[in-house]
Amino acid sequence: MNRVQYLTQAYHQAPWRKQLQYIGLFLMGLILVALVAGIYLSVTARAATVGRDIQKMHDEIEITEREIEDLKTELALITSNRKMEERAGQLGFHPVSAEELAYVDLPGFTKPNQVTLALSPSPRVAGASVLSPEYTQSLFEWLRERVFEPAAPLMIEGLP
Amino acid sequence: MTSENTWRYTTLGLLLTAFALFIVVQILRIQLSPQAEVFRNRGEIYSGSWRTLVPARGQIYDRWGHQLAGNTTVYEVGVELTYVQNPSTIALALNAVTGSEYDKVFALASQEPSDEAVYARLADFVTEEQKAKLEQLAAEMQTAYGRSKEKERPSLAGLRYIPHLQRSYPEKDLASNILGFVNREGKGFFGIEEQFNDELAGDPQTVWVPADPNRVEELPEVPDGASLILTIDRAVQAEIEGILDQAIDESGSEAGTIVVMDPSNGEILAMATTPRLDLNEFWRYGEIFVDSTPFNRAVSKIYEPGSVFKVLTMASALDNGSVKPDTPFLDTGAIEVGGTVIINWNSGAWGPQDMLGCLQHSLNVCLAWVATQLGTNDFYNYLQGFGIGHLTGVDLAGENPGRLKLPGDSDWYEADLGTNSFGQGVAVTPVQMVMAVSAIANEGKMVVPRIVLSMIDQGHQYNTSTQVAGMPITQESAQTLTNMLATSLEVESSVALIEGYRVAGKTGTAEIPTPFGYTSSQTHASFVGWGPVDDPQFLVYIWLEKPSVSPWGSVVAAPVFKQVVERLVVLLNIPPDDVRQRMMDSN
Repeated sequence: MNRVQYLTQAYHQAPWRKQLQYIGLFLMGLILVALVAGIYLSVTARAATVGRDIQKMHDEIEITEREIEDLKTELALITSNRKMEERAGQLGFHPVSAEELAYVDLPGFTKPNQVTLALSPSPRVAGASVLSPEYTQSLFEWLRERVFEPAAPLMIEGLP
Repeated sequence: MTSENTWRYTTLGLLLTAFALFIVVQILRIQLSPQAEVFRNRGEIYSGSWRTLVPARGQIYDRWGHQLAGNTTVYEVGVELTYVQNPSTIALALNAVTGSEYDKVFALASQEPSDEAVYARLADFVTEEQKAKLEQLAAEMQTAYGRSKEKERPSLAGLRYIPHLQRSYPEKDLASNILGFVNREGKGFFGIEEQFNDELAGDPQTVWVPADPNRVEELPEVPDGASLILTIDRAVQAEIEGILDQAIDESGSEAGTIVVMDPSNGEILAMATTPRLDLNEFWRYGEIFVDSTPFNRAVSKIYEPGSVFKVLTMASALDNGSVKPDTPFLDTGAIEVGGTVIINWNSGAWGPQDMLGCLQHSLNVCLAWVATQLGTNDFYNYLQGFGIGHLTGVDLAGENPGRLKLPGDSDWYEADLGTNSFGQGVAVTPVQMVMAVSAIANEGKMVVPRIVLSMIDQGHQYNTSTQVAGMPITQESAQTLTNMLATSLEVESSVALIEGYRVAGKTGTAEIPTPFGYTSSQTHASFVGWGPVDDPQFLVYIWLEKPSVSPWGSVVAAPVFKQVVERLVVLLNIPPDDVRQRMMDSN
């Protein structure tokens, strides 16, 4: 019996050591929680900053679009028929009459009939997202796509 | 830790736990209480806003890409009621700069801010210059009175400017009757703006925009409204409007209309009429278009065309084989059709004539005889084939179909066959006449007049194509009549002739119907002509209403045709006939 007591006592940890272990465990937990909270805060803050940037960019797009419209109108005002006639008159030009014209035959010349103003002939779907899935897909969506659709390409090339 | 301190720590622990539990219970109580919905709704108000994404209205261009209608930034001016310091200053400033009513603005800006009243709109469509003036005033007041502690110090604090687009017309009144205008609510009225309002306006979308940047989402791309390229040539339009104004002035006419069309494809190159409106000041519409004046006479106003209509009668008869150019006719100065005696314009008898002479001297008696030779059914079938009494389908709002009484109608009488043959008793619009005559100028093929050349939608340009409305007469009949009309102008040395170019045409003088019969003191003077005869590239229709200098189309309208064509051949680069022939031979 004495032998058992001796062994128990021999391997029994001192109370201060136990306290240290508890404190250590608690601190580890605390650090883990702080770490997760810190990462969460950092990611959230970055997401918020990016979100705010996106909001600003939406506003900037609107402002730019209005500026484009204004500039087009300003250009049209500057080059309006009346203004151009005035400027031509000031420069000494006058409307040409039929008698002042000389016609020269240019082989291969075809008279232009109308203007072409469409800038981009590429087809676009109204309301479609302009962002590629890399920016909109969650990790789980990406994994599911990989698992259930393994033939899908790893990256979708940016559409023009 | 002594036992003396143990109970203290235990008590503190219990108190803190109780406090924490109290907080948790409160949270749960609030979340589950009936008021929770109220709080949630209040929170929702500030969590974002519904925003309508209004696409920019599509542009309108002439055929060479000159902008005729665009957009410009204007501002809505409002106040955030919480920040208002002096409503009187705000009302005074807006009254001085934008002309807003002082009392109205003062009342709006004086409202007590509350959950329901946060912002008040004071003025809209404030220009960039006006906004700059208001901002300058605000800055000057801040400098002068910013440090003052006086409660009633002048201040424009609280003013907010919200930008948006409004329609703008850089060419002012040029082609105004074709374009129409857009009102403050963004709705198109008259002309192209009304006809293509849905396409130009685009499709606005309302989306929820969260204030929380963590919840921000990509805004949908709202495509701008479709843009239109018109068949109108700005330079030609300006020139024609100038000529028309001068013609109205010189002839003492009440109003006038000139339409220029390419008869081979229906493209309207110019459509000038009166009155015109600076579209940037569309609110003056009621002041300018008084007494139901149509916005565009060329498509909306019907009238009895008179002798220009004879070309349709003669075309029908030639096509039908009832007459030939050399068919003889003895003009005795009068003919009875359906019990009505028809006489010539000068009440005279012109003796032996052929069909060329009938057209050259514009003999009513002869043309009434031609109509009788053609027969009632065929005559009206041909007129319907020419589109008389029907809409042409021109892509402009407010087109009037005119009126062609037909056998069987309650108001049709046999005498109408005679009067209709020379353009009386039938009501048409200028654009209807242009379409009908295009069949003669275009080798029998009648083309639908069109104003829109292309539509640009989301990066694509869609071109319209020529629409043939029918072939009322054969190519041979069209060529025969064209030659007859060209010769008749040459034989009588008409003032409509243009040196170097062979043109075909016909004058018209119509008496005006009144409730008491026709008045001969006031007339409608017209001219329709096209050329060059061997390859028609323009068709010109002129209508002068109630000219006071002379009632005759040959005196007031024919010289206008000459003026128009002299400018057209330059602006459209049409060489004289001999040069063109030489070029064709060399190629």
